Amino acid sequence: MTVGAVPGNPSVEVRGLTKHFGSVVAVDDLSFSVEPGLVTGFLGPNGAGKTTTLRMLLGLVSPTSGSALVGGVRYRDLPAPSRRVGAVLEASGFHPARTARDHLRTIATVAGIDAARVDEVLELVGLGADGKRRVGGYSLGMRQRLELARAMLGDPEVLILDEPANGLDPQGIAWIRGFLRWFASSGRTVLVSSHLLAEAAQTVDDVIILAAGRMVSQGPLQQLLQGATTSVKVRTPDADRLVDVLTAAGPAVGRVKREGPDLVVAEGTTAEVVGPLMARNAVVVLEMTSSGESLEQLFFQMTEGAPMGGRPGRPFASPPPPPPPPAGGPS
Amino acid sequence: MTREIRAEFLKLRTIWSTWVILLIAGVAAGALGVLVAFAPHRRALAQALFPAKGTVDWFDDVFSVMGVATALALILGIISVTGEYRHKTITPTLLAEPRRGRTVGAKLVTSAAGGALVGVAAGAMSLLLGFGLVAGGYGNTSVMLTEYRHVFPGILAATVLYGVYGLGLGAMLKNQVVALVVGLGFEVVVTPIFVGVLPSVGRYFPSQAASALESVAAAARHHARIATFGANGTNLLTWWEGALLLLAYGLVLAVAGTSTTLRTDVT
Repeated sequence: MTVGAVPGNPSVEVRGLTKHFGSVVAVDDLSFSVEPGLVTGFLGPNGAGKTTTLRMLLGLVSPTSGSALVGGVRYRDLPAPSRRVGAVLEASGFHPARTARDHLRTIATVAGIDAARVDEVLELVGLGADGKRRVGGYSLGMRQRLELARAMLGDPEVLILDEPANGLDPQGIAWIRGFLRWFASSGRTVLVSSHLLAEAAQTVDDVIILAAGRMVSQGPLQQLLQGATTSVKVRTPDADRLVDVLTAAGPAVGRVKREGPDLVVAEGTTAEVVGPLMARNAVVVLEMTSSGESLEQLFFQMTEGAPMGGRPGRPFASPPPPPPPPAGGPS
Repeated sequence: MTREIRAEFLKLRTIWSTWVILLIAGVAAGALGVLVAFAPHRRALAQALFPAKGTVDWFDDVFSVMGVATALALILGIISVTGEYRHKTITPTLLAEPRRGRTVGAKLVTSAAGGALVGVAAGAMSLLLGFGLVAGGYGNTSVMLTEYRHVFPGILAATVLYGVYGLGLGAMLKNQVVALVVGLGFEVVVTPIFVGVLPSVGRYFPSQAASALESVAAAARHHARIATFGANGTNLLTWWEGALLLLAYGLVLAVAGTSTTLRTDVT
């Protein structure tokens, strides 16, 4: 029944995928697979080819060569795609004059999904009270939630998300994180793209790292973090509790050591991961230092040389150029 | 396919532009009808151009303004595709139904139906005006209704086919502004030039095909009248040739658009 549950048949499989836009090679001979029950992060700087890859998986963009399969078949060959795959893309596919509820009703009708499910998914994403409002009046965060509601209409087995945290406030990001963990923990598949490794590190189990359309690294996040050889040292009166918190945090935190009555060292992780964990668990911090490469530095090293990314070695070292003056009229 | 068609109807119903187009069709048919009915004119030309009030020919003129509904049906058909690209709703639409031909097929059906509604909106207002004119002492109900029955079916058929034609244009061009400019520009600028300069070619243009269709029942008399003041009434196709030609425009453009423009990447 479930697509991803078949052993040896990964729910998402990309083989030799290549896409040219004119002379630009957006995706270059990319191969990877995504397993159910895990949250897989699809990471890379802007312009690395993440969105193009996801859109090829969803049948919106035709590959130049190679294949992108969901449950062993192309998306457009799935008999009821909405029931198999939910996709959260940029939060812009709405008619501004249509209400959120009507927007979802049109999709549910095409997909043959019961209209009652529309109200269910609106509740699920916390838009229950706003369903009858026009989407034109929605904030970016609400649009992201509406996208997620649309993706969840068919109660899919695979969730594909393109930068779902964009435009969300910290509370919204935490909510999405919890949602993805819950979704994956029920044995379903999550592939989520992000251009922020440290951000994604708090959610994902596996990572696929992309730069300039090519695969840079793939594997469990844990492995990647060990490669990073970073550690975070914390002085705290709550040392025992911090050890428990960090140990329970899963793969985002590596080995945890006590180095004294009030000193805890976490290896294979970064301050970006440990800091929020301590804040969430109300651990009092007297002092925190991180050493070794940070997760972001590692990310830059792996993706350096990417034409659209940061400058090799000195990513974003100089301030960005000022924005261009506003255009003379509507484009 | 029924699911796709139901969804397309729901889309039409849930945006305000559909209702605005229907409203304009009604208002335009009524207002232009009044204008034509009571247009001030110079005495010298009156005999040739303006029929006496209350006559069959007078009602023919009043009801013929329903023809503006074809332009509105065209717009409705165009935006049913181009609106999806403009607002990027094409992404969720194609995620729910990745077979693009099916979506276009459903839109063909709803554009035809939408065109019919536009025709009905204009027709209802024209009929109301007809009764109002009779009540105001011009002509009688029997003359008015006879002429209405001559004009309305052709207009209705033309609006249905213009909905399909608009859908085809939209599928072919994808960009809303371009499609509207091309579609309406062809009606207002290109066609009159050809009709004037090269009538043997102009008669095959959509609006001339529609004209042929619109004068289906009133044909002979209508054409003869138009011909008296120098238009090309006698140069039109027969009504069924016009209907087939218009349908062909819509279907050919829709099929061509589906296999070319709409197959391109949605980024």
